[in-house]
Amino acid sequence: MFAFLVRRLLSLLPVLALVLVIVFSLVRLIPGDPAVTLLGPGATDSQIAALRAQLNLDEPALLQLWHYVAGLAQGDLGVSLKSGQPVLDEILLRLPATLEISIAAVLVAILVGTPIGVLSATRPNSGFDHGVRILSLTGVSMPAFLLALLLQLIFATWLGWLPVSGRMSSYLFVDNVTGFALIDAWLSGEEGAVQSALLHMILPVTVLAAFLAATLGRFVRATMLETLGEDYVRTARAKGLSRREVIYGHALRTSLLPAITVVGLKFAEMLGGAILTETIFSWPGIGRFMFEAIRNRDYPVIQGATLVFALLFMLTSLLVDILYAVLDPRVRRKMR
Amino acid sequence: MKLTRRLFGAFSGAALGLATVPLSVQGALAQEASTLVIAVPSDPAGLEPGINKAEPIGSEIILNVFDTLVAWKAPDFAELEGRLATDWTVSEDGKTFDFTLRDGVTFHDGTPFNAEAVKFSIERTTEMNPYVEATLGLIESIETPSETEVVFTLSRPYPAFLSILAQPQSAIVSPAAVEKFGEDFANNPVGTGPFTFRAYQADTRVVLDANADYFRGAPKLERLIYTIIPEASTRRLELENGGVDIIQQAGQLSAVPSEEMAAFADNADIQILESPSQIIRQLEFNNSLTDGPFTDVRVRRAIAMAIDYDGLLSGVFDGTAERVYGPLTSNSWAFDPAVKDLAPKYDPEGAKALLKEAGVDPADLSVKLYSFQGALWGAVATFVQANLAEIGVDVEIAQTEFPSYRALHVAGEWQMALDGRQPWYNDPDAHVTIGYLSSLKDSAMTFRMPENSELDAKILEAQGEADMEARKALYSEIQKEIVEDVPGAYLFSPKLIVFARSNVDGLVVNSAPPLNEYWSVSKN
Repeated sequence: MFAFLVRRLLSLLPVLALVLVIVFSLVRLIPGDPAVTLLGPGATDSQIAALRAQLNLDEPALLQLWHYVAGLAQGDLGVSLKSGQPVLDEILLRLPATLEISIAAVLVAILVGTPIGVLSATRPNSGFDHGVRILSLTGVSMPAFLLALLLQLIFATWLGWLPVSGRMSSYLFVDNVTGFALIDAWLSGEEGAVQSALLHMILPVTVLAAFLAATLGRFVRATMLETLGEDYVRTARAKGLSRREVIYGHALRTSLLPAITVVGLKFAEMLGGAILTETIFSWPGIGRFMFEAIRNRDYPVIQGATLVFALLFMLTSLLVDILYAVLDPRVRRKMR
Repeated sequence: MKLTRRLFGAFSGAALGLATVPLSVQGALAQEASTLVIAVPSDPAGLEPGINKAEPIGSEIILNVFDTLVAWKAPDFAELEGRLATDWTVSEDGKTFDFTLRDGVTFHDGTPFNAEAVKFSIERTTEMNPYVEATLGLIESIETPSETEVVFTLSRPYPAFLSILAQPQSAIVSPAAVEKFGEDFANNPVGTGPFTFRAYQADTRVVLDANADYFRGAPKLERLIYTIIPEASTRRLELENGGVDIIQQAGQLSAVPSEEMAAFADNADIQILESPSQIIRQLEFNNSLTDGPFTDVRVRRAIAMAIDYDGLLSGVFDGTAERVYGPLTSNSWAFDPAVKDLAPKYDPEGAKALLKEAGVDPADLSVKLYSFQGALWGAVATFVQANLAEIGVDVEIAQTEFPSYRALHVAGEWQMALDGRQPWYNDPDAHVTIGYLSSLKDSAMTFRMPENSELDAKILEAQGEADMEARKALYSEIQKEIVEDVPGAYLFSPKLIVFARSNVDGLVVNSAPPLNEYWSVSKN
């Protein structure tokens, strides 16, 4: 197992290097120069040239790449062209916000999607099953930004139950300790802070979770139906176990295995989807940070954030493999 | 952990419950009447003068945390008043500026404000901020004869220097704080202004607290919060819900918010504050071309006469923009009203006649009209296209993404283009020199004026003329000369528009950069 882990971790390196080279070239191929973008339409050439020199953009691209890789080897992701702050600090500052809603969304999706899938599978073609299929089809096909705007309109503007955007009420002042609004709110002890943080999370988490819950529900339903037709399930029933024991004690565990792959892959995908959701809900995570960086042609930030996204993606799939091994003895044996 | 049905059900039920149970939110938190929340579309690009590049959000925050020596006087913003300076004189040759400073002012960190701090701040900005190379870079020396006197000597006469000193780049920083924080001063700005810096949470907000010891008196608000909301629709919902008090239209290329105007017009909870600006948007000809139809002034004039300016204002802008007649807006102190009569007027028949006189068949004039991207620019370009079609000129619109558009424009690879200029300091120089001086034609997006020694000399003379009356007369001549040459068609000047909750009181929208001050603002 240990050897497997080391092997897998080492194999991440060439992939990361490839990602780095591709992103480094791509950002420089997008038309537009960061100095021009930062200074706006009124700027003169001499102002732009001075800023380019200050930002080291006047160096040849290969030299810039060399400096970047040399810095990377020492854990230095460079400095944001817009803010002048180290990119790593900027990303770490925003990572908790993204993780906060992503993890919450995965939990919600699992806890909503799985039972719905199981219930649908155990009552195939019932009214419940049809209703769920319509809902999950809607969830899978509705674009996240549309759902986000709809929810904002209904729950924030019309009903006034939930806040429109942000992580906490503007009137509260909570120190940034962990970066997780909910934990910081709890640590601050300020009245209403935890409630405010929770309320602000509901809409973005719902938007992120909707797609995953719908995908998961459909997936669990399918695998569950398949499993329920397997020989060992019939054997279990024949042994005298109750229907309930068979479903939850035997069939569910088997059905969940492929579902883990789905959750793992979709979690990584969700990080990408966070770009739109975070922008609409003014959620200060890395998705929105990257969106702004692309608009500003902030090369080091785009590069750094892409590397972090790639790393998260790869680590998630590694985690999925490990979970597989834990849950399935056949896979565990192959890993040695 | 074994999956049991009960555990599973409990978790799922809780999750479903969390997602669906309605919870009252607004009631839980009492809105504080002394906190003003302003929604802005992006993070400030720097919170201190040394790195400010006239980016609007950071500039406004700087001017509420720091003070400048002088500032434009509300509500007209046509005259300078003293801030950290009480009085000043300009030498006859226009090169020496002598300021008497306010006594007894302290920075937020308790250290005293004095002449040394002025010298330190301006020298520091000049050294570290490439943006001011051409302006503060003119300073030859800064003398501090006493604690309350500072004397600037320039290498050449530059009357707009006073206007430059009112800019956020020229704000006075606490030398002690710069020494204490070093590189980190940008995250811990310390000035003398009406608000002290409390916190900046990236992508979230900037929090400023009232400076109770402010030398003009404590602000009426206790706290100012800039909350960063990138999505326009989200900003609008927040304002309607009362989550924010003010939304601003920032950004030089942003669309005029006519949709919001319509939505807010009937909303009693929201007031619309508007102010004429000094921004000009125009159709430019590439005046450096040496052949082609547009080298003939009659053809340029015919194009300018084909455009229905009032129709553009009412049809596309619905009252959110004003007429502009020449190189300066009507609210500039140097504007000459005679230009109104000289400017080409909407007259399609006259335009056709003029083309005929020039011996040009409109059908041969088919031309590409370059423009910035975005719905607003698209609407303007389409309007112009329809106008020109009426006199038989076929226009193809090419909307181009900003950085590439700039490259194409500066390289001069075009005949006709939509462009605009937002002066970054309040002086006719900010429009005229960069726009029309032939030696600067390749240095930015300009009218690409051909060499014209007489006009060029006049522009440079006006830039350096110390006597304000003589200066105004020079700008008057320059405006007339330019308008008669029709280097472009002056299309419109967008108003500056701020949407505020109706209980916000005392905000004066600034027509010229720098932007709004919140010292006098309160909430009822």
